[in-house]
Amino acid sequence: MIEAVRQWTGRVLGRGDAAISVPVLDGALKSNRLIEDAEVVAELDAPEDLASDGASLFVADGTSVLRVDGAGALAVEQTFGTTVSALACLPRGGLAVALGGREVRVVGGPHDGRRFESAGGLRLHAVNALSASVGGDVLWATDGSQTNPPERWKHDVMELGRSGRVVELGLADGSARERAAGLAYAFGVGAVADDVAWVCESWRHRVVQVGGAQSGQVVLDGLPGYPSRLAPAAGGGWWLTCFTLRTQLVEFVLREPKFRKRMLKEIDPRYWIAPALTSGNTYLEPMQGAHLKTMGVVKPWAPPRSYGLVIRLDERGLIRYSLHSRFDGKNHGIVAAVERDGWLYLLSKGRGRLLRLSIAAAEASLAPS
Amino acid sequence: MNAAAPILALRKATKKYSGVPAIEDVDFELLPGEVHAIVGENGAGKSTLTKVMAGVVNLTSGEMLVDGRVVNAETPTAARELGIAMVFQETSLVPTMTVAQNLYLGQERFFNRLRGIYIAAQQFMQSLQFDVDPTAVVSRLGAAQKQMVEIARAVLHKAKVIIFDEPTASLTPEEKKYFFDLIANLKQRGVSVIFISHALEEALQVSDRITILRDGRHVVTDETRRFDRARVVQAMVGRDLSQTLYGQRKTRVRPQGRRVLSVQNLRMAAMVKNNSLSVFAGQITGVFGLVGSGRTETFKVVAGVAKRDFMHGGEVLLNGRPVRYFVPASAVRDGIVYVTEERKLEGFFETQSIAGNIYLGLLAKLRGKRKLVSKSEAASVGEHWIKRLNIRAISKDVKAIELSGGNQQKVVIAKSLVQEPELIIFDEPTRGVDVGAISEIHQLINRLADEGKAVVVISSYLPEVMSISDRILVQRMGKVVEEFSALDATEEKIMYAAIH
Repeated sequence: MIEAVRQWTGRVLGRGDAAISVPVLDGALKSNRLIEDAEVVAELDAPEDLASDGASLFVADGTSVLRVDGAGALAVEQTFGTTVSALACLPRGGLAVALGGREVRVVGGPHDGRRFESAGGLRLHAVNALSASVGGDVLWATDGSQTNPPERWKHDVMELGRSGRVVELGLADGSARERAAGLAYAFGVGAVADDVAWVCESWRHRVVQVGGAQSGQVVLDGLPGYPSRLAPAAGGGWWLTCFTLRTQLVEFVLREPKFRKRMLKEIDPRYWIAPALTSGNTYLEPMQGAHLKTMGVVKPWAPPRSYGLVIRLDERGLIRYSLHSRFDGKNHGIVAAVERDGWLYLLSKGRGRLLRLSIAAAEASLAPS
Repeated sequence: MNAAAPILALRKATKKYSGVPAIEDVDFELLPGEVHAIVGENGAGKSTLTKVMAGVVNLTSGEMLVDGRVVNAETPTAARELGIAMVFQETSLVPTMTVAQNLYLGQERFFNRLRGIYIAAQQFMQSLQFDVDPTAVVSRLGAAQKQMVEIARAVLHKAKVIIFDEPTASLTPEEKKYFFDLIANLKQRGVSVIFISHALEEALQVSDRITILRDGRHVVTDETRRFDRARVVQAMVGRDLSQTLYGQRKTRVRPQGRRVLSVQNLRMAAMVKNNSLSVFAGQITGVFGLVGSGRTETFKVVAGVAKRDFMHGGEVLLNGRPVRYFVPASAVRDGIVYVTEERKLEGFFETQSIAGNIYLGLLAKLRGKRKLVSKSEAASVGEHWIKRLNIRAISKDVKAIELSGGNQQKVVIAKSLVQEPELIIFDEPTRGVDVGAISEIHQLINRLADEGKAVVVISSYLPEVMSISDRILVQRMGKVVEEFSALDATEEKIMYAAIH
């Protein structure tokens, strides 16, 4: 009763959950143009995920896994009958791929042919990220939602989905167990140790630890965007991608159930007031709470429909710096980042591009003398 | 200039408090139409010397001469009749009265027409180019505007000698320019100006001669052109401090720790408009902005000193947890302290001892856990912090009002630090503080950041913001408009962001 009164007064006074405020991009999250200025390695049709074994770079593109050589040339490595929704290189060789979000399969290496279709008594439904432990016997996977497949992520956020989970797949013994459930869209996992992983909970804008003595502890929260995949960084720490930023308008719509349900029912999903991987393609797209052009020029600081953001974390989960493609850019919807040979490879799902930038040059530009 | 007879002179001037000399055997001469800067560390005796001239305190020995005649200015009224007016460091305006009423206070006729006073005040303020509404109640004015009214009041009294004690401490760069023009104007009219300032560049810029005091004694008086910054500092402190203050550019900044404070879309009447910012552990976040930019108000809301808008006021998150304080004590218990810019009004209890003030800070943190006030605990806490912050006083039992500005500021800081805060907000921490104490306070602030505390320094003085901060936020019209790393900030960039 008291909680109900509190919520009601909060809605009237614009307090608490109804304050509808979003964190600001400041400090190490201060915006720049590094993603927008990144080199374009390849244009892709339906990019989904990136992985590297240290020597080669692999890209999940539609139903194929492509190998990228040093010059940026693409070659088909494997083709499957369904969309590849996640990809990981295994330490002892081979690839782990998630197919259509419903199956995890190992291709090559000592565990070649191993398949996982369920965990914890439930079928896999929306596997969207994979991460192998250092030892190589355990594969962590995030099963984004039990109600929506990976391609319907936008439905999941607007339906306030809370059915994501993290599963641990034993490559050696074929075991599969659920490690955490009830997550607000689990999207992105990084194996910290054999029994510990960091997991991104996108709709709660945070990274949490699963396993170990501090299981359930929040590593990083209050993110200004929706976090997605994690990838280890050379020298310790992680690369965290955020596929778009939060806006006050979307946060407002998320708190208006009647409006939201009607929008879901009646409006084409391309024109929802919802997070997007790309924007600026048609005038039918909704406004975002402010005008987007001044004197005919797109405002880089306008409330973004879509955005490109990659965050460099240290070993403790503290933000060291960040890379951006602002509202006036195109390289939006970054869903994966992988470091190799001093280069950071980025997958812009919104634009359909594989990008790369020199990490040393980026760090130098962010630390003026 | 030196050939002219002095308009005001002090010979062997000595003033003792309880047998302790504040100034001793000081000789001083003020020439007609000159701007004379008096500089010195806190406790050097500058304020005492000028208070003697203004009739606020009386000499223990020695004499004062006006136009060559020995005079006895025992009261401020007597000094004013001799043509000497003083604009005090801490404003002496009546807060519940309007600007115009304050200007004409003491000059009222038997029958007063308020409208007439407002019109006269309006014309007078306009002649000084001071943009202050004469009908505004003084308590609602910002520090800079109060200072303007103080200055205007002294000018209005047609004084032959006007003494300014830290006149520019709370003025914006634009207002300072107006003020310096005013000084030039007064000088042209033959008015002599005594100017106390801790901003040495200002003293070097506007004065004709400089007198330097140290430990209550006269060190040197010379023409300004014979001084440079290093010589002034050397004479003031007896050691070379110039490299420890604002001269150096930062070569490294502290890395960002976890986000301690997140202000999101904060609103507070017309002062704070949809303001968002973050403060991180282990870093000094400098906040710069012109007067009226909403810096102080933003952080007063954070610390529970002021309230945000009742409806749709935005959010303040401390370590990710939404907080809303109605009184500062709640914020203190959560580890937030605010070291006020108005130390005399909000910072301490004037009649309490140093130890008593610091102990009160501790009691605020421990509300309900101390049933009885322990004098011995107060004494030990007081002694500990006097030693730790190097508060210069005869004993811990000295009343706060009897301390110099820098030591008063240290008491305010100690009163806050005794609460073991996680987030410390310093609002104009070195305003009205001498260079020696500035250095000590800066070292203390740096130490706090090195210990992992989240530190905010709000300052109107650009060199201070640039020298102490790791990152600099610039506020304009109620919100943060720009952020700089201390490594790539320049005065031009910051000022451009603050104005445009």
